[in-house]
Amino acid sequence: MSDNETTLIQKAQKGNHEAFAMLVDEHQRYVYNLALRVVKDENEALDLTQETFVRAWTALPNFKGQSQFRTWLYRIVTNLCYNRLPNLRRSLNDLGDDVMEDIPETNFNAPASEFENNETRQHLHRAIDALDANYKLLITLRYQNELSYDEIASTLNLPLGTVKTGIFRAKEQLRKSLVHLEDSWITA
Amino acid sequence: MDNRLKQDALIEEALNSQSLAPMPRSITADVMARIQKDTRPALITWNDFALSLVIALCIGALFFTLQNLPPVMLVKIRIQGILLYQSFLVNMRWLIPILFFGLGAFLAALTIPMLYQMMVGRRR
Repeated sequence: MSDNETTLIQKAQKGNHEAFAMLVDEHQRYVYNLALRVVKDENEALDLTQETFVRAWTALPNFKGQSQFRTWLYRIVTNLCYNRLPNLRRSLNDLGDDVMEDIPETNFNAPASEFENNETRQHLHRAIDALDANYKLLITLRYQNELSYDEIASTLNLPLGTVKTGIFRAKEQLRKSLVHLEDSWITA
Repeated sequence: MDNRLKQDALIEEALNSQSLAPMPRSITADVMARIQKDTRPALITWNDFALSLVIALCIGALFFTLQNLPPVMLVKIRIQGILLYQSFLVNMRWLIPILFFGLGAFLAALTIPMLYQMMVGRRR
């Protein structure tokens, strides 16, 4: 959390509306994106985003800064998503934690040329969109909201192993879809 | 193996290259309008205050009543209290069997949905 954000939070905790408006401006896109990925409906995602910030304002005096502000917001929006999708919580808990080994981290240094095929990328993006809500929640928190596995576990109140298992299985589903695409190229 | 690594790289690249969804409109104004209407709850709400007042009045009334009871009445109450406690001790031997019976009945009730599902499944 930057010093500027800490100052804004402290001001908002004392009831400063302008400071809170700046915090809303800064974080709304990430909160909206997370809600949209899970509920798949623009209007509903906007409602959830708005409700998240209203609740954040009400609960802000209780925010002690033990976690990051954005992680705290993600926790609120996730709880709201649980209310909208009652099966989401259960499906996350049911993931289990059979993948306990460390998942290899992203190869950020991979040259762009390795991903020369735009079609493959688009196909994978469609496959990501088609993932189940529980996988999409985990994937979005990890790759778009850039949380660590520990932060995701703490945000969703899940064991670390369950988070790793969920992300691993989501990637396995993407791999299957990639294999299908490659097969279709071979048969074409 | 090489193919798997390549697939991993493609998947990672796709996951990292997914852009954030653009917001149809900013919600800042809506949020600010709502929080200006919904004031933060104070440390003690009116409900808390009313409930505390009622409880305090009850305690006060009890204390006042006890202070003003004639001594004979106090002794009678004390005797009734002792009798009640004795009666509880006499019936205490039934407490544990009754608790076990209640627990058994509760567990049996929990099996009803499963039995119902089995029954429905068998009919199908």
